[in-house]
Amino acid sequence: MSQKTPEPQSDDIAVLRARDFWGAIVLMVLSLFFLWRTSFIPLFGDNRAGVSGTSWYNSAAIVPLGIFTALFILSLVLLSIAIRAGGAKRALSPIGIGWDRAEAVRFITIGVILFFYTAGLVPRVDFIACSGLLITALTFGYHKGRITRMILASGAVGLCGAYALVAHLPQSEWGAHDDDIVTLAVWAALTLWVLLCARGDGVLKAVPVIAVLAPVILVCAMAFGFRQNVPNRGGLIFSQIEYHYYVTLRPLWRS
Amino acid sequence: MDFILTQLSGFGGAFWALVIDPVTYIYLIVSVFLGITFGALPGLTATLAVTILTGFFGNKVPLDYSLIALLGAYVGAIYGGSYPSILLNIPGTAASAATAMDGYPLAKAGRGGEALGLTTTASFIGTLIGTIALLVFVWVLLLLSQNIASPEKALLALFGILLSGTLMSEDLVIKGWIAGLVGLAMAMVGLDPLLSEPRYTFGWSYMLSGFQVVPVLMGAFAVPQIIEGMRHMDVGTLTELKGRILPNLRAVRRYLPTITRSGVIGTGVGALPGVGEDVAGWVSYGVGKSVSREGRKFGKGSLEGLLSSETANNACIGGALIPLLVLGIPGSPPAAALLGAFRINNIIPGPTIDPEIILRVVAIMVLASFTMFVMGLFTAKIFIKILRIPRVVFLPIVMVLTTIGSFSVGGGINDLYLMLGVGFVAYLMNLLKFPIAPLVIGVILGGLFDETFRRSLLISGGDVFVFWSRPVAAVLLALNVALILSQVPLTKRLFARLKGKAF
Repeated sequence: MSQKTPEPQSDDIAVLRARDFWGAIVLMVLSLFFLWRTSFIPLFGDNRAGVSGTSWYNSAAIVPLGIFTALFILSLVLLSIAIRAGGAKRALSPIGIGWDRAEAVRFITIGVILFFYTAGLVPRVDFIACSGLLITALTFGYHKGRITRMILASGAVGLCGAYALVAHLPQSEWGAHDDDIVTLAVWAALTLWVLLCARGDGVLKAVPVIAVLAPVILVCAMAFGFRQNVPNRGGLIFSQIEYHYYVTLRPLWRS
Repeated sequence: MDFILTQLSGFGGAFWALVIDPVTYIYLIVSVFLGITFGALPGLTATLAVTILTGFFGNKVPLDYSLIALLGAYVGAIYGGSYPSILLNIPGTAASAATAMDGYPLAKAGRGGEALGLTTTASFIGTLIGTIALLVFVWVLLLLSQNIASPEKALLALFGILLSGTLMSEDLVIKGWIAGLVGLAMAMVGLDPLLSEPRYTFGWSYMLSGFQVVPVLMGAFAVPQIIEGMRHMDVGTLTELKGRILPNLRAVRRYLPTITRSGVIGTGVGALPGVGEDVAGWVSYGVGKSVSREGRKFGKGSLEGLLSSETANNACIGGALIPLLVLGIPGSPPAAALLGAFRINNIIPGPTIDPEIILRVVAIMVLASFTMFVMGLFTAKIFIKILRIPRVVFLPIVMVLTTIGSFSVGGGINDLYLMLGVGFVAYLMNLLKFPIAPLVIGVILGGLFDETFRRSLLISGGDVFVFWSRPVAAVLLALNVALILSQVPLTKRLFARLKGKAF
């Protein structure tokens, strides 16, 4: 395919081609795997439960077959472009693929935070508490780009998320409140640490306020303003807000 | 004549209904403000603004209000990108990248106020040009689209994905096509549309309904932005704003041909499936530079250069809505998010769309452009203050918004897993310089392509001749083939040789 390829290039392009080498291999493996999975879908009028299937042109496999074949061919082309540009030679060295330790730490710690927040905390822990912790951790961890802070922030979220996952994995246990308490405790501890580090830093001083206000306003607007579904309505804090909204506040303007 | 009068009275009715409703103004002011804020903060984009609001409003708010919020944010965000472009030399959104070329030198020369006043005016006029084009062409295309059947729809969907892949690639065009194919592949998951045959569900019942659009949008557009944006970066040194922010009517009069041309280019580029405002800005800037008598001044603080890009990127909005409303094919990444909003409100854009909705969209666009203009002139100082706030303060809140939006629309935790998974994949694709927009376009158009392609074959009894036996289908097929061949080295060389012989 045409491209602005594979002539002698800048270092950035060389790194990109080395990454393309691996990317193309992953894409080839994936397209082959899905081509194999496509063979599970009836193509030539198979019998299903005694009912004869459809013709090839109406098969549910025909379009995926085309897509994954095209993906495989394009992956091969990308691989050849990468190899011709010297990507294969560079692909086996960390420098070749542009490995940057600081960047890797940044990505991994953010990955850990987002994973534990989304998969561990949001389903099981009060949304205000876990979002407050997330905002505190992300702002504190990445504001100055210090690796120790990133690790501390991801450790805090990871600890709460891992506890929630391990202690209450099945959906039947998502209503429990001990993980809410653990999250609140870790959030409070992290907030204190942030305030200790906040001398002369306006952003860090504002973190506790933002971390409380943003999730409270958002969740209340969603639940009561737009009548939307919100995660974990039985959470420690939100259940109280909801109770007082319907029992204490709403009658004031309803009556 | 009767038809025009009917449309005008319909538009007048829709416009009046919005104007007399006080709630309209609340939604307009808040959404345009939010949009400009998203545009003004480097790292937050127009697509992100529209996507997040799509999740936030879901289908619990009346459609009119939902559309006001989404279109207001869209218009505001495309305009808002000009603030950091002019004052920081950092484009707030990709759409404003060309604006920085002349905006920043103007600000450095002490004409920042004039530059901002001019971009505000240009964005306002551009949005109106796009909106007028939408009002005019949407009916013509709707009439034409009545004759479009399954083969044409399949080829059009394929063309949209290919074109988006071709034009949105920063690196190799092939990467854009691969991204489009990955999106198409994702759309294959779930029960197939004709036979209800489960595909690639791996026994997970959640997957039977396929990948939901909103979590995919959130994952593809929001999560990579958050991961990418969480870096320690100095806000940069804001150029001191000198001069009042006023509409420069003399410059507007002088450069009226440039404004008109840029508006037409922006609308045209917007109407191309899946391309978007950034391409519109650059194309218009490039054309402006080549045809202008002051072409040498471009990049050194030319008012004409500024007008070229800013008019075009806002005109692109109206253009992007044309294929969205007429064919259900988004003309830009934010329009893809809008399509998601339509879908969760059970409205299927396309030839069967209710004309009332089109009139309401046009009326909202007009109101949004006026709101943007007024805000741009009177509240610019607020946005300049917002520019000083580091991204790390906003992005965690965006993550919370994304999470709650994804959850609310789907109503399930599985949507969050999907969002996160798509987000990490999209981030890695970004790292490898694969464009994300074609992937999203692929996910959105995949179902349409699958259904119409197979239905065409079903009707013709498996005869592939159906794809070139009809005139419109033949043209579309030729376009698809030409687009692919235009990127094959062999044909490129052949074409270059032919060109060489010709001269």
